[in-house]
Amino acid sequence: MATYKPQFYPGKSKVAANRKKYMDPSYKLEKLRTVSDDDIVRLMGHRVPGEAYKSVHPPLEEMGEPACPIRELVEPTPGAKAGDRIRYIQMTDSVYFTPLTPYMRAWTGHTRYRGVDIGVLSGRVPLEARERDLEKVAKELVETEIFDPARCGIRGATVHGHSLRLDENGMMFDALRRFQFDKKTGEVVYVKDQIGVPLDKPISVGKPIKEDELRKRTSEYRVEDVAFRTDKEVVSFIERLHMLRTEAGFDPNRVKGI
Amino acid sequence: MSSEKKMFIEALRKKFKEAPEDKNTKYYIYDGWKQSKRKREFVEAAKKVAKERSVPFYNPDMHLGGIPMGQRVLMPYRISNTDIYVEGDDLHFVNNAAMQQMWHDIRRTVIVGLDSAHTVLQKRLGKEVTPETVNHYLEVLNHALPGAAVIQEHMVETDPGLVSDSYVKVFTGDDELADEIDKRMLIDINKAFPADQAASLKKAIGKKIYQVCHMPTIVSMTCDGGTMSRWAAMQICMAMVNAYKLMAGEAAIGEFAFAAKHAEVIEMGTLMPWRRARGPNEPGGIPLGYMADICQASRVKPQDPVWVALEAISMAAVLYDQIYLGSYMSGGVGFTQYATCTYTDDVLDDYCYYGADYVKKKFGGFGKSKPSWDLIKDVGTEVTLYGLEQYEKFPALMETHFGGSQRAAVVSAGAGVAVSLATGHSTAGINAWYLSQLLHKEEMGRLGFYGYDQQDQCGSVNSFSYRSDEGLPFNLRGTNYPNYALNVGHQSAYCGIVSAAHGGRNDAWTTNPLVKVAFADKDLKFDFTHPRLCFGKGALREFVPAGERNLIIPSH
Repeated sequence: MATYKPQFYPGKSKVAANRKKYMDPSYKLEKLRTVSDDDIVRLMGHRVPGEAYKSVHPPLEEMGEPACPIRELVEPTPGAKAGDRIRYIQMTDSVYFTPLTPYMRAWTGHTRYRGVDIGVLSGRVPLEARERDLEKVAKELVETEIFDPARCGIRGATVHGHSLRLDENGMMFDALRRFQFDKKTGEVVYVKDQIGVPLDKPISVGKPIKEDELRKRTSEYRVEDVAFRTDKEVVSFIERLHMLRTEAGFDPNRVKGI
Repeated sequence: MSSEKKMFIEALRKKFKEAPEDKNTKYYIYDGWKQSKRKREFVEAAKKVAKERSVPFYNPDMHLGGIPMGQRVLMPYRISNTDIYVEGDDLHFVNNAAMQQMWHDIRRTVIVGLDSAHTVLQKRLGKEVTPETVNHYLEVLNHALPGAAVIQEHMVETDPGLVSDSYVKVFTGDDELADEIDKRMLIDINKAFPADQAASLKKAIGKKIYQVCHMPTIVSMTCDGGTMSRWAAMQICMAMVNAYKLMAGEAAIGEFAFAAKHAEVIEMGTLMPWRRARGPNEPGGIPLGYMADICQASRVKPQDPVWVALEAISMAAVLYDQIYLGSYMSGGVGFTQYATCTYTDDVLDDYCYYGADYVKKKFGGFGKSKPSWDLIKDVGTEVTLYGLEQYEKFPALMETHFGGSQRAAVVSAGAGVAVSLATGHSTAGINAWYLSQLLHKEEMGRLGFYGYDQQDQCGSVNSFSYRSDEGLPFNLRGTNYPNYALNVGHQSAYCGIVSAAHGGRNDAWTTNPLVKVAFADKDLKFDFTHPRLCFGKGALREFVPAGERNLIIPSH
């Protein structure tokens, strides 16, 4: 039997290639910046660094779980084993060449991480997980090439900005001004956590990715770079998918053998 | 097409200081809510009220723990196809009397056939029914319907000054009979409609005669849609007794009541199931095709079915999206922001006319092609990509439709309307809507909110799933269709998809000729021929509604 090799995404363009790459867990995301573990915790604002994880149930090994084939099959994540509460990180991604579009953020998360619950809206992507698992995921989300300090925002609420024009420094709008561009250092610093509570000290998330570089890394089709209509394989793939769904809805026999 | 020719450019130039193509702007310098005249008025009014009632009230500084709205430009909106610019607040139905009146005019209307009553009168009671008796009966009913007594003694009645918008008119497909009816109480199909439409309508209606009963707006505001057929039935029965000198309570009266409440009544909306329970004549039960027929733009400018569809879309946006889903089903104020995108700033107008031009060039006109995969894919994809590219070429446009659900609604509406125009087939149109949603999701890598995406991603499958080869069941869908039960931002376009299909075929109506004729009435408070203009007047506070209570309250 032939081995199944996931293709992850159709298309022949640079954008399609990026989509495939980010979703493929065998591809190692390039690390572009360092943000300390404690600062990641501060940015999310769920606990104070050093504070014990709050739990919602005893560790699994103390709970005497019932016999269950699924439980035997699925190895719990460390956070689940410990009984951590579930917390979140939420991202807003600008339409201006963000590395990950919202759906890409979800699909990438689902192929790379275990124990995550990801939702997709046009202007935000909440990712929920057990707290210690979340912190590991969040660190990769912020430190690697799938994050741009200027075009991605860590925002729990009042997320507006994804579709708005950029400010004079190329930053995405944030009504709460959680992040600022530091003209002296050229870095983006957070002065509030994701829900908008002021931080004791600013946290740098590094320099914005340069525009040319951002265009190389983006998973966003745009007319001024890679227009969607030029990636004919993706367009025809979607048209075919829609046609098959429609035909099957009308009469399932019509799509037999396709 | 150059940017100069794009219909939305003028609005974008008024909305923002920068050129529509500029990608950058400034933020945090606009003095928050104070930049908005309307919100300044709100603050002043609220301060006064808070003092009077001693309970805290509207205070925009409560927003986000002290960070007020307006960190960016609080942009005005142009009512599409008009020169009226308004603030977003003016488009919430609470702040717009025209929007309220549109809904009241629909809710307070039932159509009741007269033929079975006439049959009872003639064949059972041996009474003579002539045009003269019909005119007399109508005059009696015009006295009774607003809330007056016709046979009882020592009865309370309603103040005519409060119920002046309540009346009955009739229509028929029989020109000879119509000629005999008192013109004050006749909807004259020949006068109201272009000749070809009048001929089609009269043929469909035949020799039957129908009453269009409009109950008082104040009753509609105080009671509910389910009241209307009962109110009408009671007054019809009383008027029959009076006009034909019947015994009050004889068995035949029950026949009139049955006819008026059941056999001959056409409600504007049907009952809804328990989990969304509402009576008849409530917005959730109004089929998309009825909404398209209630809109009267088609008899004003039938040669421009795009304009007709856009006018219908605006009505559906207000009733289905803002009033029904936004308030009946959801509460809060968010849905207005969402739904107004279909009738503001000429954006959807641009997308629809682009699609119409494309269809004309490629398929030789409207309604000339049978639905096919080639056509749906071609037109649906082209209009979708055109719409998405405008957001990318004009950042000010992207900021105007700052929510993904707004963009998804407008882009897919353009695609759906274009396919409807090309094929004259609303089911093909709705199928293109769903193709558009899938393309949009992949192109931008984002779509709308959770619910939006869920419903649209399974829409391809359900678009042709119910007897679509036998008729146009899509015309009878509405917010009562299970998958549309909380499908905000969609219903407006769906109505436009129905309208465009029939407009493309030069049909006189979309779903029900009786509904089309019932609203062809210049005496209605709301102008159903130009809904967008009417909403604009409401926003400018120039619209005078019915149902005011000044007569019965102290001067203020």
